Amino acid sequence: MRRPVTRHKLFLAASALAVTLTGCSSPASREGMIPPDLAIGTYFPHSLGIQTGGGASTGAMDTSNISDEDLKAAIEEAVIQNKLFKSIVQGKGGDYELSVRLTTLSKPILGGTISVEMEMAWSLTKAADRSVVMRKSVKSSASKTMGDAFAFVTRLRLAVEAATRDNIGQGLKAIAELKL
Amino acid sequence: MRERLLRQIKQPFTPFGIVLIFRHSNAEGIILKKLLKLFAILGVVASITSGCAVNRATGSVDPSADLSALKTMYVKRIPEETGGTNVLIADKLRSKGIVVTTGTEPPPSNVDAVVTYIDRWMWDITMYMLELTITIRDPKTDFPLATGNSFHTSLTRLSPQEMVNEVVDNIYKGSK
Repeated sequence: MRRPVTRHKLFLAASALAVTLTGCSSPASREGMIPPDLAIGTYFPHSLGIQTGGGASTGAMDTSNISDEDLKAAIEEAVIQNKLFKSIVQGKGGDYELSVRLTTLSKPILGGTISVEMEMAWSLTKAADRSVVMRKSVKSSASKTMGDAFAFVTRLRLAVEAATRDNIGQGLKAIAELKL
Repeated sequence: MRERLLRQIKQPFTPFGIVLIFRHSNAEGIILKKLLKLFAILGVVASITSGCAVNRATGSVDPSADLSALKTMYVKRIPEETGGTNVLIADKLRSKGIVVTTGTEPPPSNVDAVVTYIDRWMWDITMYMLELTITIRDPKTDFPLATGNSFHTSLTRLSPQEMVNEVVDNIYKGSK
């Protein structure tokens, strides 16, 4: 009587493992990527259009990625919260156009303490004469330990979100130093 | 004791009840056995269909960059890299009419762009390139003018040459 029970337990464990592996990956959330108050203290009386690129969706068995839409929403929200520009416009038609592209996102496949490294290309163009007023490579990183989250996929997502928050913070601070 | 056992069988969702189903209730045990088999099959199908084949290929160019104006490039080889990925990238860029040099030394001052890359390898029966990121940078500021990335897991693995071709083609697809 004991042997079938063991086999069933193995089936159950295998199923649970498969479901866990395939169903737990989640993309970096837009809320998690918004940096806290940056204390910028700069206000530009211009409108801003934002476009993002280089991101990717997160597949079921993939690890946390950043989608272009969520990155765009997080940057927009950070600009609004910090009152950096007068308004945000969708598409063309803004006084300035900000392009933010994710160029590198290095993530581990396994590990206890997870370290994520990221690079984004920030460029700001004046729409009226197409002059480039800023081009900057912004690098950021973040580490998360077992104390932050026990599940690997959650720990990785938190690390990706933390690195993105830092990157957005650095990018907006660089813009705030410009004379527009 | 017998009455207590029967009460537990009627409450199959308690942990003790589930154990009792295996040991004392043949009919319910068969149902549970079938359910477990179903879960196992679903798990395997999910793993095969979604888990083992992750494919991603992206390419993006900064709106302020003009790739057609970049006529000379330098592919900076990662010093510890011995797979020849830098040579594959250089050859692919040459096929697009660009004059390309490659090496580990600092880039020459007269090039229009510096190309960097990150390749990740994985073992599954044999070694294969899991991910490749290629970045075309401004030689003066290190600003990433364009980037491409390809990620293919074991079942849909590509050769290093195919990975390079896919990434470079995706970068130039995104240019104006």
